[in-house]
Amino acid sequence: MTRTRIAVVAAGAVATALLVAGLAGARTSSTGRAHQNLAVSGTITFDGIWTASSGQKQFADVVAAFNKTYPNVHVKYKPVGDSLPTVLATAVAGGNPPDMADIAQPGTVAQFAKQGKLKPITYAKSVIGANFASAWQQLGTYSGKLYALVFKAANKSVVWYNVPAFKAAGVTPPKTFSQLLTDAKTIKSSGTPAYSIGGADGWTLTDMFENIYLRTFGAAKYDQLSEHKIKWTDGSVKTALTTMAKILGDTSNIAGGTSGALQYGFNDSVTNAFGSPPKAAMVFEADFVGGVISSSTKAKPKTGFNTFTWPAITPGADAGGVEIGGDLFVTFRDTPAIEAFVKFLATAPAAEAWAKQGGFGTGNKNVPSSIYPDPITKATEAPIGSAKSVVFDMSDEQPPSFGATAGQGEWGLFQDFLKNPKDVAGIQKKLEAAAASAYKKGK
Amino acid sequence: MTAGGITAEPPIAAAPPPSAGPGRLGRYLTSAIFLAPALFMLGVWMVYPAVYTIIRSFFGQTGFFGHWVGIDNYKTLFTTSTLTTAIKNNAIWVAVVPALVTAIGLVFAVLTERVRWAVAFKTVVFLPMAISAFATGVTWRIMYQQDPGLGAVNALGKTISGVFSPAGVLSSASPSIPALQSKGGALVLKTATHPGGVALLGLTGIAPDQVPKSAVQAVQPAPKPGDVVGAVWRDFKPGGGKVGVLEKGEVGLPGVTVELRDASGKTLQSTKSKPDGSFDFSKVPAGTYHAAIGAQTFAKPFGGYAWLGPNLIVPSLLISYIWIWAGFAMVVIGAGLASMPRDVLEAARTDGATEWQTFRRVTVPLLMPVLSVVFVTMIINVLKVFDIVYALAPQSEYAKANVIALAMYFAAFQGGGNFGVGSAIAVFLFLLVIPVLALNIRRFKRES
Amino acid sequence: MAAAAPAVEIPAPRDSAAAKIVRTVTRGPLHLALIAIGGLWLVPTIGLFITSILPASALASKGWWQVFSHPSTATWANYDALFHNSGLIQALKTTAYIAVGNTVLVVIIGAMAGYAFAWLDFPGRDWIFIGVIGLLVVPLQMALIPMFRLYNTFGLFDTWYGIALFHTAFGLPFAVFLLRNFFVGLPKDILESARIDGANEIVIFLRLILPLGLPAIASLAIFQFLWTWNDLLVALTFGQNTTPITVWIAGQLREFGTSIDIIAPASFISLVVPLCVFFAFQRYFVQGLLAGSVK
Repeated sequence: MTRTRIAVVAAGAVATALLVAGLAGARTSSTGRAHQNLAVSGTITFDGIWTASSGQKQFADVVAAFNKTYPNVHVKYKPVGDSLPTVLATAVAGGNPPDMADIAQPGTVAQFAKQGKLKPITYAKSVIGANFASAWQQLGTYSGKLYALVFKAANKSVVWYNVPAFKAAGVTPPKTFSQLLTDAKTIKSSGTPAYSIGGADGWTLTDMFENIYLRTFGAAKYDQLSEHKIKWTDGSVKTALTTMAKILGDTSNIAGGTSGALQYGFNDSVTNAFGSPPKAAMVFEADFVGGVISSSTKAKPKTGFNTFTWPAITPGADAGGVEIGGDLFVTFRDTPAIEAFVKFLATAPAAEAWAKQGGFGTGNKNVPSSIYPDPITKATEAPIGSAKSVVFDMSDEQPPSFGATAGQGEWGLFQDFLKNPKDVAGIQKKLEAAAASAYKKGK
Repeated sequence: MTAGGITAEPPIAAAPPPSAGPGRLGRYLTSAIFLAPALFMLGVWMVYPAVYTIIRSFFGQTGFFGHWVGIDNYKTLFTTSTLTTAIKNNAIWVAVVPALVTAIGLVFAVLTERVRWAVAFKTVVFLPMAISAFATGVTWRIMYQQDPGLGAVNALGKTISGVFSPAGVLSSASPSIPALQSKGGALVLKTATHPGGVALLGLTGIAPDQVPKSAVQAVQPAPKPGDVVGAVWRDFKPGGGKVGVLEKGEVGLPGVTVELRDASGKTLQSTKSKPDGSFDFSKVPAGTYHAAIGAQTFAKPFGGYAWLGPNLIVPSLLISYIWIWAGFAMVVIGAGLASMPRDVLEAARTDGATEWQTFRRVTVPLLMPVLSVVFVTMIINVLKVFDIVYALAPQSEYAKANVIALAMYFAAFQGGGNFGVGSAIAVFLFLLVIPVLALNIRRFKRES
Repeated sequence: MAAAAPAVEIPAPRDSAAAKIVRTVTRGPLHLALIAIGGLWLVPTIGLFITSILPASALASKGWWQVFSHPSTATWANYDALFHNSGLIQALKTTAYIAVGNTVLVVIIGAMAGYAFAWLDFPGRDWIFIGVIGLLVVPLQMALIPMFRLYNTFGLFDTWYGIALFHTAFGLPFAVFLLRNFFVGLPKDILESARIDGANEIVIFLRLILPLGLPAIASLAIFQFLWTWNDLLVALTFGQNTTPITVWIAGQLREFGTSIDIIAPASFISLVVPLCVFFAFQRYFVQGLLAGSVK
């Protein structure tokens, strides 16, 4: 490993002038014709969460697009799947992290940045600025330095519904929350519970809360709560939780009731809503629900399932706002090869290589909505790039011990809330206590 | 560790007779050669990390070695409620599992000795060990699902309970109007009816595929003097429709047991509704009556036990774990049995001892070393148990089902990389084992 | 063990009429009981197998026993998909290297140490033995980081032998514990007479201990092989391109959505090899190996 490193550095030093010229020339690749840059070479090790059945092939297509311009850079992708946090934490603490990694939580990225493990990607600032609205740049910035690129985003303000169930109940996708509640009652009368909740996975509950909060109070206040500038004991949180209790407390309208909801994971919540016969009519979750439907059920688009945007609550309060989850790319080292790759990833061709296959959303405003392969994908992915206000999944922005740990913090406490939706004040206190301790320890 | 052997046995030879063989130094050298590879590997791969962990536990959270925090991490250990639950759970595991696994393994090993097709049985019991812990966890997670349609355990329960208390025809239905009230499982119309009156019993919450095939458009029958007529129907049409009003597009519910109750609640007549949902109680004397739908219509089918719920999650985990590890005990003890010289057993048998006596007085004592290996290994395995809890317990029950290794994993790797607390938990785990070792040391010392 | 006179030919077990009757009477219910227990024990495994031959969409709404009422839903498609996935064979090979390599090492090193603790004398023997047993407690996760740093320094990262050595070390406490306790139970007199005859320890070890300890060694081999065959965490942490079967399977799982249509068939493919090892070593568990085999 040391020898290759020296070789890369030496090559880089010798080819600096060529490199600059090469990059300048390669920038015209956005128009379609790429100058090949043979000077930049090396290997990039990349630890990612996408596996053979969920994105590895598509990411390989992105790399192939990159190799058209930089054929001498080899990206070695390691599909780690769910164990990525463990493996990455070990590798970082053990002193030999991969060159790049894909991390889903801004909170974890902030932690690594704080520990000084990440290399800033300031060299990519102008490319990112040219392709993304400033909010996206903010998402990757910590203490004033840019560390991460939000390469892939998932639209979490989507509701998926079972079309035949809605038809049998005679309801149409609601535009407002009060309409949603009325529709839910009608759906229940028609014989199918309205809500499919995957409470065993605490993050589905936090996503629901965040959408409610966003649509009641708007993006500005959302960000304040996310940065812990507002406490969890605030009155706004109480309002949002009370609203949420209107869904969670409607136990006979949830597939499996409260105890069922606590045992069903995210996957089960999708198969419950789209299996036959359906056990519920709606799932409140992100665009990646589509992938689960096609791999685990027989439901077909438009006739079996469809989507609508999360209903508005307070008129005007960012009713069209989008809450996203996403994959942030970070770098642990800085080489010419890595720099070239990062800069490429921020351009439209990188996003398009994946987007045209579906299952991919991006904030890149230069990606046309025509690239999405089908109407439902377009309806769920296009808003990410075009929405006026975009906020990141709040629980992912928190210190991981509070926002992203199974059975604890937000995830665990919202499960407790599902068990007893009446105890709003109690949950608020516990949430604030957990948040305070996480923020205090700098975790 | 017991030295084994029958009570009359002299203890193990401590050393070969001094006259034979090379001198003391030579002997120690030989020992060193035999021990060196093991001690070297253990030193590097296990002692070094153990020492590193102990030292690390006194440092803070961030990165490689953070700042010194003294015993802060240990304080966190004992004050976090999830950790105390974990300790309690591990205690349950230690109390239950090693003894059961060893006992079951012993029984299986002994029983299969005498059967010719022992290998088949042993393979069946051994198979769970061969499947990865993760796959096993997923398998049992599916088996324990509450939904009897999906979870095998509850499916069995449903079949059994279906024999004794069959489900009602419309178990999920609920009344469409407030006047129809629940009383003891039945739905009773609060509004009184008199002979010549019409009782409308509307129900909702019935999925289209639950409606009996013979149902047709609901019909509100015309009042008949001296009779109480009415209809039971699915009071729903797309969009909701008018509640309590029999509309076009709403179907009747045939085959429902309708009762005519008097003012005191006693059932006077009962009949079944027709395909259009209508029913007719004839020759009703004057008086106040209430129409009702019998409770058996709404009898809920077996909903399944919540094996993965807070109350049963720990027993469920124990059962799965024993299912996996009994094979280990059986194979190891089987090997022990195979090493036993036949002559001793035969001598006991020909002396007139029964099977049971042979087992108790000869076999078990001879097996003591092996049994103790299995037992102690299981105790330590159970203190370290992680995989099965991680894969089997739903996240919502992690707090309830928590075990020390799971808590350590979350502290160190998931909860923001707090290796300080993670290390403290690991050290605590080491310390827990000390009583176990101490007990065995004493037994070992006594024997030798 | 009984202090029997040496060099006695051990007669075949006497089969008196009474013994025969007792055996037949106790056999019937015994067979039934074993069949019943075995059947019940097998249910989850059968369930997993049936799950592996059903498509994921069928399993979403009904349990695996639906195959009994709708046998046509069964399909080999899940297995097909796995075999067509590149890397399965290579993964199996890599796993074989790691598993076989470390099992052989564990048996040899463990037997040597076990013998030393059982039959050799040196100062502190008992305390060191206790110490070795105590190491059984070290949880794998805590060794990851310190070893990671060490491996980097010595260039062991991402090698199959690096992973194998890790497993060897972690398998040693149990190996030493098990083998020492077995060896301690071996007939003392055979060893003593061998020593009196002037044989040195190495000869005793190779010619006497190993053959006599075969059942124990066989069971140790089975489990050590098994545990490393099924390990995921160590291979994932210490490998980059070295991909044993568990890592390969993990790399097939979906990010969202049930992956039971991958996990189930992969489990069965993966379990074939440990099962073969089990069968291969089973024959050493025949009782009476000791009888007449020594002198």
